[in-house]
Amino acid sequence: MKTAQVIYEEGAHRWLALVRDPSRPDYLIDTNEYLVSVGDDAILLDPGGSEIFPAVFSALSTEFDPRKINKLFASHQDPDIISSLSLWLEFNPNIQCYVSWLWAGFVPHFGGDQETFIPLPDGGADIPLGGQRLQAIPAHYLHSSGNFHVYDPHAKILFSGDVGAALLPPGEDSLFVEDFDRHIRHAEGFHRRWMGSDRAKRDWCHRVSQLDIEMMCPQHGAIYRGEQVKRFIDWFAQLEVGVIK
Amino acid sequence: MAVLVQDSGRELRRIVRTNEEIKTVVLRATKINLMAMNAIFLAKRAGQSALGFGVLSNELRRFAMDLQKQMTRLREMTYGSVGTITALVQQGRVNRLLERTRKESAGSGRKLIDEAMRGRYGLAHGRHRDQITALNRRLNQMIADTTQLVELGSVLARSAKIEAAYGGPFSTSLMQVSSDFERTIGEIQSSLESLSKHEDA
Repeated sequence: MKTAQVIYEEGAHRWLALVRDPSRPDYLIDTNEYLVSVGDDAILLDPGGSEIFPAVFSALSTEFDPRKINKLFASHQDPDIISSLSLWLEFNPNIQCYVSWLWAGFVPHFGGDQETFIPLPDGGADIPLGGQRLQAIPAHYLHSSGNFHVYDPHAKILFSGDVGAALLPPGEDSLFVEDFDRHIRHAEGFHRRWMGSDRAKRDWCHRVSQLDIEMMCPQHGAIYRGEQVKRFIDWFAQLEVGVIK
Repeated sequence: MAVLVQDSGRELRRIVRTNEEIKTVVLRATKINLMAMNAIFLAKRAGQSALGFGVLSNELRRFAMDLQKQMTRLREMTYGSVGTITALVQQGRVNRLLERTRKESAGSGRKLIDEAMRGRYGLAHGRHRDQITALNRRLNQMIADTTQLVELGSVLARSAKIEAAYGGPFSTSLMQVSSDFERTIGEIQSSLESLSKHEDA
């Protein structure tokens, strides 16, 4: 079962990371899910695939009432991101899912109806949450052609989807990046292959370098903190992507 | 729940078999239609002595067209069944995932899953069972109606054979055509029997 770990808390504002499932079968890629709540208003970022729903739900319900999740955010359309949609709808049929307009006609194959989806325009949008506002930050072509990240200006946390992801070997499963140089080796191959556009990468690096980020939370692997965030952006900016090596 | 999944798998296999038989019957109905058209021309050539045969050939042609329409309705019905069975398979998958979630959850999380499963399982199980039963009943009824229709075709083919005996110099040709009608309709009856068995299985 995954564990739910509080990575940020200030008053009623909280970020929960749902991470590391030792019982996950090897053939499924490991994923991180994040719940952002402000009071009773909550959004689950990249809720995950249907096969890992049991692990996500059980971990989450130890810290938060799943019926109160009224928003989902899908960074893009992949099955490991949002194929659990129909299961979340079981607990709250009125749940709304933010996703790029590009995928608004595709993701309903996983569940929901026309009331379920809030299509995000290419330029991004604000996502209201308990009187605060999260920002959907464009990250198109990184890796999906309609792709967003989420920035929480109050908590100074960037949910970065597949950017920053690392495929960690067994035994290296800490929640936070401990040794950047060692960690980034597990991220390199992933970014070279999955990130398809050098121009999109440079645009993204420019965009996020202007944000005040204390934590960068990817969908796979460990969380970057403090200086590591800038190091990652610099590393990514000079990495050759869209190549098979 | 495993029963639900097994049921749905069995139902899907049954629908596939039914559709295959429907295709066979439609092909044979088309064949009867063409044969009847040829028989009408033959009866015209035979003249006065094959008037009765001509009338029966017309009736056989109408029978073939009615049968094709009936098979179209049957096919539409099986398509509808695929929709219901697909929903059942999806329900089964969701139920399986909820079962797993229940096993992994504790405390309030488990209570939530229990509530969700009670609602889902009772409603969905009953509803889908009823839907499948109703669909099977309608399919069986339609197969029975089709069997009656084909029985009429069989009577027409036998009558055509009798009329062929009065066909004078064309008697042999007319007899050959009416035997073909009889054989093809017999094949359709076998297909329908097979369909009935699928539905009863």
